[in-house]
Amino acid sequence: MKTRRFVFHFILAFYSFFYVVPLFWMFFSSFKDNGAIFDNPFSIPKSWDFGVFAEAWNKGGLSKYILNSAITTSLSTALALLTSSLAAFAFSRYEFRFKKQLLMLFVLGLLLPIQAYFIAQNELFEFFDLKDQRFTLVLPYAGLGIPLATWLLKAYLDSLPKELFEAARVDGSSDIGMFRMIAAPLLKPGIATVAIFSALGAWNEFLLANIYIQNDDLKTIPAGLLAFSTKYVTDYQLLFAALTVVTIPMIAIYVAFNKQVVAGLTEGSLK
Amino acid sequence: MKTNNRWTPYLFILPAFGIYAFTVLIPVIGTLLSSFTRWNGYGSPIWVGFANYVRAFGDTIFLNSFKHVFIYIAATIFLEVTVGLVLAGVLTSRKSTDIYRIALFVPVMLPMVIVAVLWRFVFNGDFGLLNGIMEKIGKPEWQQIWLGDQRFALAAICLVSGWVYAGFYLAIFYAGLQRLPREVIESAALDGAHQRAIFWKIKVPMIRRLWEVAILICVTGGIQGFDLFYVMTNGGPYYATEVPTTYMVRTVFRDQEIGYGSALAILVTTSVLIVGAIYSKLRKQSDLVEY
Repeated sequence: MKTRRFVFHFILAFYSFFYVVPLFWMFFSSFKDNGAIFDNPFSIPKSWDFGVFAEAWNKGGLSKYILNSAITTSLSTALALLTSSLAAFAFSRYEFRFKKQLLMLFVLGLLLPIQAYFIAQNELFEFFDLKDQRFTLVLPYAGLGIPLATWLLKAYLDSLPKELFEAARVDGSSDIGMFRMIAAPLLKPGIATVAIFSALGAWNEFLLANIYIQNDDLKTIPAGLLAFSTKYVTDYQLLFAALTVVTIPMIAIYVAFNKQVVAGLTEGSLK
Repeated sequence: MKTNNRWTPYLFILPAFGIYAFTVLIPVIGTLLSSFTRWNGYGSPIWVGFANYVRAFGDTIFLNSFKHVFIYIAATIFLEVTVGLVLAGVLTSRKSTDIYRIALFVPVMLPMVIVAVLWRFVFNGDFGLLNGIMEKIGKPEWQQIWLGDQRFALAAICLVSGWVYAGFYLAIFYAGLQRLPREVIESAALDGAHQRAIFWKIKVPMIRRLWEVAILICVTGGIQGFDLFYVMTNGGPYYATEVPTTYMVRTVFRDQEIGYGSALAILVTTSVLIVGAIYSKLRKQSDLVEY
């Protein structure tokens, strides 16, 4: 039994190791010059000069890409969550004309791929001169997140007992008061799930970022790193360092919050 | 619930609806309308009826792009869903396997573009990790310029997609398997059923809804695939990895054929919606059979 368990773990460890080997290779190659990278991909770096990460950070402008991603992600996620929880509250708690039709429109957004609208969205943004600005991506990303957020948050609110709200009504609470005092606090766990899902979506989004932002100073990480890789096309050490710089924090966040992250991502995509 | 003011619910919905209408609903209508026109982005669009759609159905690059997506979907269902399911089975069969689950999920966290740039290096003909491995195992004649070769480029992209998402489906299935009621499995074990048989005959059917959704995500996500293809090969070499969205983006933003690109977009959208409709239809039927 002991040996079987050992074999089991050995095989799995071996498999997992191979799985993450490209990431190790990326990390180690950051410390090797082009000659060493070409010579032998498996060699251990001769020196460990962490200055290369600072170089990628400054020279390649990684700091500005990361800042842009942080701004875009936090604003679009906050906007989507705030507006969606208000909408979810109305859909869950009130009866009104066209409720069903309006809800159907939101559900449609769950099914529509981005291909259904990005071409005309681009024209619209061009028309209103919204492209290539600091907050350009905030609205589209919020729009991308709203249908799912509204749908999930409505489901959370539906599961709350009616009496909670009726009691508050009797106590003379206003509509917005009920939202703030009762719904919003109870929505917290639901909001956390939705927030992780939409934030990661915004952080990683590329198709729209690539179309809307040409100014290098405003690029987010995916588009920025791609520009970086075209600019320093043969400086492999610097490229590997840049990849490492944007990858390691993501992995660190994931390792620290892996339960929440996994739950957020899987629940979000199962709907 | 009653409100003091009949406009209250609409006011609550307005902000979300406004953003959603501006960024999604109006553009959907716009894309649909422009798919019936010829337009280069300047001047006024010319109404051409269904001409763009007729052209799309005779456009071999576009038709082939669906063939590539089909291969890609079949490969990802195997590399992601099946592999994820097997891994979930293996990892739930023993204790203290959390570390593997955490490690295998790491790629899901990374932006697809970053993953694509990294794997472009792995497949690089000059210094790539894969060719390095070929060298190490004494088969230098197996070295290839993987992404520059029509025979391998699509397979390489499928492999990367598998690398990213196997851990994702593993997480979904693992959570599902953990939630299964113990009694059923224990009684089967008492009947002397083998562990592997219990997994495939009892547990897997019980989490059926999960792998059905996983396949649905593979199909609809595959039709929409863009980031990996755009960064790793941009449709090349010689259109060998062209998928609808890479072609669409090139048609609109390089060739300035907004009308034709919109028609392609509507066709892609329609296929996604059809797959979704088929799924929900099948889902309803199987519900009737099961209960």
